[in-house]
Amino acid sequence: MTTVNDDATSSDWDGRYYHVDQVLNTPGPRTEDSFQAGDAVKDFLRNQCKILVIGAGGLGCEILANLALTGFKDIHVIDMDTIDISNLNRQFLFRPKDVGNPKALVAAEFIMQRVPGVKVTPYFGKIQDKDEDYYLQFNIIVCGLDSVEARRWINATLVNMVDEENPESLKPLIDGGTEGFKGQARVILPTISSCYECSLDMLNKPTAFPICTIANTPRLPEHCIEWASVLEWPRVHGEKKLDTDDPEHIGWLYNTALTRAKEFKIEGVTWSLTQGVVKNIIPAIASTNAIIAASCCNEAFKIATSSAAFLNNYFMLIGTEGVYSYTFEHEKRKECPVCGGESLDITISKEWTVERLIEMLVEKQDIQIKKPSLSSGIKQIYFQAPPQLEQATRPNLEKKVSELVEDGGEVTVTSSTLPFNLSLRIKYT
Amino acid sequence: MSIDKSTKYDRQLRLWESTGQQKLEDSSICLINATATGSELLKNLVLPGIGQFTIVSDLPVTPDSLSGNFFLDDEDIGKPLAMAMTEKLVELNTDVQGNAINDNLNNILKNESPEFWNQFSAVVVCDFISSDDLDKLQDITWNKKIPLFVLNTVAFYGSLKLIMPETTVVETHDPSRLFDLRIDNPWEELKHYADSIHLNDLDDTDHAHIPYIVIFLKALTAWKQDHNNLPPRTYPEKKSFRFDYVEALSRDIKSETNFIEASQSVHRALQSTRVPQPILNLFENSKIKDGNLNYHTPMFWIYVKALKNFVIKNDVLPLPGNIPDMASDTTNYIKIQSIYREKALKDMNEFTAEVFRILESVGRSEEGINKALIATFCKNTALLHVAEGSKDLCNNSLINKVLEEYRLLMISMDLQACL
Repeated sequence: MTTVNDDATSSDWDGRYYHVDQVLNTPGPRTEDSFQAGDAVKDFLRNQCKILVIGAGGLGCEILANLALTGFKDIHVIDMDTIDISNLNRQFLFRPKDVGNPKALVAAEFIMQRVPGVKVTPYFGKIQDKDEDYYLQFNIIVCGLDSVEARRWINATLVNMVDEENPESLKPLIDGGTEGFKGQARVILPTISSCYECSLDMLNKPTAFPICTIANTPRLPEHCIEWASVLEWPRVHGEKKLDTDDPEHIGWLYNTALTRAKEFKIEGVTWSLTQGVVKNIIPAIASTNAIIAASCCNEAFKIATSSAAFLNNYFMLIGTEGVYSYTFEHEKRKECPVCGGESLDITISKEWTVERLIEMLVEKQDIQIKKPSLSSGIKQIYFQAPPQLEQATRPNLEKKVSELVEDGGEVTVTSSTLPFNLSLRIKYT
Repeated sequence: MSIDKSTKYDRQLRLWESTGQQKLEDSSICLINATATGSELLKNLVLPGIGQFTIVSDLPVTPDSLSGNFFLDDEDIGKPLAMAMTEKLVELNTDVQGNAINDNLNNILKNESPEFWNQFSAVVVCDFISSDDLDKLQDITWNKKIPLFVLNTVAFYGSLKLIMPETTVVETHDPSRLFDLRIDNPWEELKHYADSIHLNDLDDTDHAHIPYIVIFLKALTAWKQDHNNLPPRTYPEKKSFRFDYVEALSRDIKSETNFIEASQSVHRALQSTRVPQPILNLFENSKIKDGNLNYHTPMFWIYVKALKNFVIKNDVLPLPGNIPDMASDTTNYIKIQSIYREKALKDMNEFTAEVFRILESVGRSEEGINKALIATFCKNTALLHVAEGSKDLCNNSLINKVLEEYRLLMISMDLQACL
């Protein structure tokens, strides 16, 4: 094995990039004018370009391998998770011996072993741990995430980072996502093209069961499992937090749900379903991840080299029946709280309480804010934290919004999980 | 399946379930030519646990074969390519057996009998091979009904062609979640149950917990009485059905969640019970014509024949028996669920008897017939999928047409040049 060396060119041998060089040596009919065929583009790709991969899971493993093979040599990777047995059916940089270890570290190590001369710098932690200066060092950012929250955070951070005076502050964001046989890849040029937040309403609504169904009239095995996790666990275990990765905890939920199901003559509570419901498991397979990761990496390669036009801007794959794909330009939303600038008009009844408004904000497809805090001008309407402020503003929950905000007045919504403010213009019916 | 496997494969079992997994584990795939695309393809089958794979290549690993191929490294240079790639791929999953054949397709076609290919459930050709070899291979796999994939990649372009006579799918895992509720065509037990509930006699709590299946049955009966026994068909009629017949049964449409849900799900009441056209088309397939059915007819087509006979007798498909969740108290929901299940079981028994009758008529015994498979078939009859393939790699008539146009264009350009 060739030793990894700080000098990125030292371990290159003749023919190493044979196939990639076919694309980089000469311009083609579709290459952009800015394309500098030959040494210049190769030097940028292999010696100067710095790329960040967020997520070292199903997509992340594929993305890292693809980037390394196409010639990116300075790759950084962030992931906060450790390896689980159920990752091994697709996260091919991990082996059974790696279970329990941080994904970012194991993935980086594996890539450097397999593809000599590539430097992968791992960070085992959250994307929120890093500041703008950190993100500014990269040329391109590729995301392979399974969390909407994390995507919204990085998207908003990159949009906020754009400084019109400094073109280097605009970082192309390539985002991939998969679910079973379906997936999508998109290119986001922060502030220029449609951002992640612009398309929030395209997400499926998460299944939620009404509490009264769970408590009083269960009909499905899922209702029994929800009863065990949402109502029985806190009642029986008090302060002890439910750990969905702990097989003993899942076992307790399974047995509790099973007993309840028997009582109501409901069939179908299984271990696998219990786990699926409480962890909100999404099916994941290697091949869909491979297609989406490859699309993301092709775009990263095209952006880095200008060797071909890149995706504008949304690629959708549906592999459930045959192979169907569709590419379209997703458009910016004027009232997007991240990149739009205009406030969002909402019309509510004069009778609505602040609590009802908050409920709506949590549920609304194009907003989806967990635990929002509300203010109007300098007036605090309701704050979720710190506890003193929460206590002080809590009485407002029962007040009517119309008592606190005039017709056409603006309300600013914030949430600790999201690095942006949403402004609403409230109108009454 | 052991505990370990069900944990390891959890995320894919949620997609294709244990039946799909078993089929994958019983499969063996052959890769002709060890390219980077080929290694990627095998990786995606080794990870989920295909039974076996075989790589055919007589080339050694060279520095440029490493370009783009993650399943080789610089220490492999000089080794036989098929072997080196196999070694790296089996590391991904100890459940999978990998084989390397250090030879080329041309030799295998010359030296081995066609039976050699029987061991594979699919064959993949990567990269270009001579058209003679491809023709020979295609003849063999076509006759043996082995799927043949031909794929090529060039820079940002790629092509994939699947050559096989037919593929049949029972478990299509339809994502549209269409439920066969038969509101327009209830059987005796269901009708009886709906009639046994008198909405006016219920207290407010019970009234707000009557599942919408009952609401729909009552509303549709009332509608038909007022409309010459015809269901709502036009948009205004459907709208009127929703407001004047479904919502009108509610005591308070703002608060009774079951009626709110009924109003929102009114399409389920308006769905007409009929055999879908794609399924009717299957009934016309020559494989199940009297006289064509024989001892060797694949089980799928025996089932289709049994289904056809079932439909001739009953005018409807066997009931799948599953119902969606809906606002209801537990007792009524479980009761309705069991009415649907019992009917489904009755239909399945009738269907099974038909299958056995057909098997007997073609001289096959019932032995080895998997009852679970019959049950699965019955649940999925509305969604069966059959794809028929072509042996032609390309659409030759189209290519000839294009070439002819090109030739004419050239002639006219020559003529213009002369002028």
